[in-house]
Amino acid sequence: MWFVSFVKSSIGKKWIMALSGSFLTLFLCSHAAGNATLFSSISLFQAYADQLHSHPLIISVFSKGLTLTFAVHVVTGSLLFLQNRKARNQRYKVKTRAISNSQASSTMIYSGLFILLFIVIHTSVVSFGDHGKIGVTISEMFRSFFVSMFYIIAFIGLAIHLSHGFWSMLQTFGVNHPSYNSLISRLTYIVPLFFLLIFGTIPLLFLFGMVS
Amino acid sequence: MTTKSIDLSLEIWRQKDSRTTGVFESYQLKSISADMSFLEMLDVLNEKLTREGLDPVAFDHDCREGICGMCGAVVNGIAHGPEPETTLCQLHMRHFCNGDTIVIEPFRSRAFPIRKDLIVDRSALDRIIQAGGYISVNTGGAPDGNAIPIPSATAELAMDAAACIGCGACVASCPNGAAMLFTGAKISQLSLLPQGRPERKERAMAMVSAMDKEGFGNCTNERECEAVCPKGISIRNIARMNREFVKASFFG
Repeated sequence: MWFVSFVKSSIGKKWIMALSGSFLTLFLCSHAAGNATLFSSISLFQAYADQLHSHPLIISVFSKGLTLTFAVHVVTGSLLFLQNRKARNQRYKVKTRAISNSQASSTMIYSGLFILLFIVIHTSVVSFGDHGKIGVTISEMFRSFFVSMFYIIAFIGLAIHLSHGFWSMLQTFGVNHPSYNSLISRLTYIVPLFFLLIFGTIPLLFLFGMVS
Repeated sequence: MTTKSIDLSLEIWRQKDSRTTGVFESYQLKSISADMSFLEMLDVLNEKLTREGLDPVAFDHDCREGICGMCGAVVNGIAHGPEPETTLCQLHMRHFCNGDTIVIEPFRSRAFPIRKDLIVDRSALDRIIQAGGYISVNTGGAPDGNAIPIPSATAELAMDAAACIGCGACVASCPNGAAMLFTGAKISQLSLLPQGRPERKERAMAMVSAMDKEGFGNCTNERECEAVCPKGISIRNIARMNREFVKASFFG
C-alpha cells in the first residue's frame, strides 16, 4: 500500500516529524494565548479554564488528538535517532562540525526527551489536576523557586528545540527558496523567542508576586 | 623564491581488508613542501614506507584536478579537509602549520564498507543512479540543439545540481550517514529540465527507495553535507527532492 511505503521511507518519516511538529506548534500558539490571560489576573485565567472545560466534546477531541500527535512525534523521532545511530557503525576519532551553529540540531533528541519529561510532570500536576481550582494550583506551584526554575529551564529547552525544529519543518516541506530564506532565518529566532517570552514570563511574575 | 616546508605528525587509519578491524598508526614526515597537494604528501609517505619495506597507505584518487570525485578522506574530522569547496586532491599543505598532527580517516558509513585503509566502496551511490538517475530517449535522428527552449535560470539550477561529482563526502560528514544531498542533487538535475520531466515521479520513488535500501541514515537537516561539499551543492536540492517524493507518493 502506498501509504505504508511512504511512512516507511526516510522522507516519509521526515515528513511525519514535520507535520506532527507543525501541529504541536499550533497547539503551543493556542496554549500561549490561553496563558496570556494570566497577564491580566488569576480570576480571568480561572474563567478561561472554566469556559474551556464547559465544552467536554472540544476538550475530549483536542486532548486525544494532541496526545496522538505528540506520541507520533516522540515515537518517530526516537525511531529516527536509533536508525541514524546504526547508519554509522564506526565512529570518527575526531569529531568536528563544518558548520558553526549546530548545537540545537545535534541535540534534538535530548531537548525533545527533556520536553517529554517536562510534559509528563506538567500534565500530571496541572492538566489532570482539579481544573476547577487551576488558578489556585498554579499560583501555589509557582511560589516555589525550584518549580519555577524547572519550568523556565524547560521553556529554554523548548526554545532550543524549536530553533532547529521550525526551520527544519519548512525545509522538509520543501520550502527553501532564496526569496524567502532571509525571512525564514529571522523567524527561526523570532518563533522560539516568542514562546519563551510568553511562557517564561508567567513563573517569573508569580515569583515576584506581580500577578493580581 | 624559497618554498616553505613543514614537519608533520600523521595518524592514519590502517585496515588490511573489509573483514579485519583497523587501527590508527602514527607516522612522522619531515620537510614537506607547503606547495604539495594533500595526496602528494601521502605519496611521499608511501615512498618512505615502501623503502622501509612496509605496506603503503591505500587511498583512492584519479584525476587529481578536483573534478572526478574519486579521492576523499576525513581530515581532522572534516571530509576533504578544512578548506571549503575543495576536494582532497586540491587541498594544499600550505593550509597546515609546522608541527601539526593530522588525523586521516576513511569516509565512515554503514553503506560504504572499508576495503583497505582509506579506500571505501561507494558503489551504493551507483546503485541509486541505476534506480532512476537517467532519462529514456527513443532512438532516431539526433534532436536539434535548441529544439526545447529552457529558461536560463532553470538551466543554471540544473547545472548547479549536476555539478555533483558523487564523491560521497555528504554521506561521510552527515551525523546520520544520510545520502540525501547526493540523491537530491541527482533527482533535481533531471526533474528541473523538460527532458527529465516525463519520468520525474517514477524517478523520485525509485531513487529514494534505492537510497533507503542501501542502509543510509535519515536526513535531520543538520546542513553538514552542504558545508563540506566540494562542489557547493545546496540543500535546496534536498528540499526539492522532498517535494518530488511527496508529490509522487500522494499523486503518483
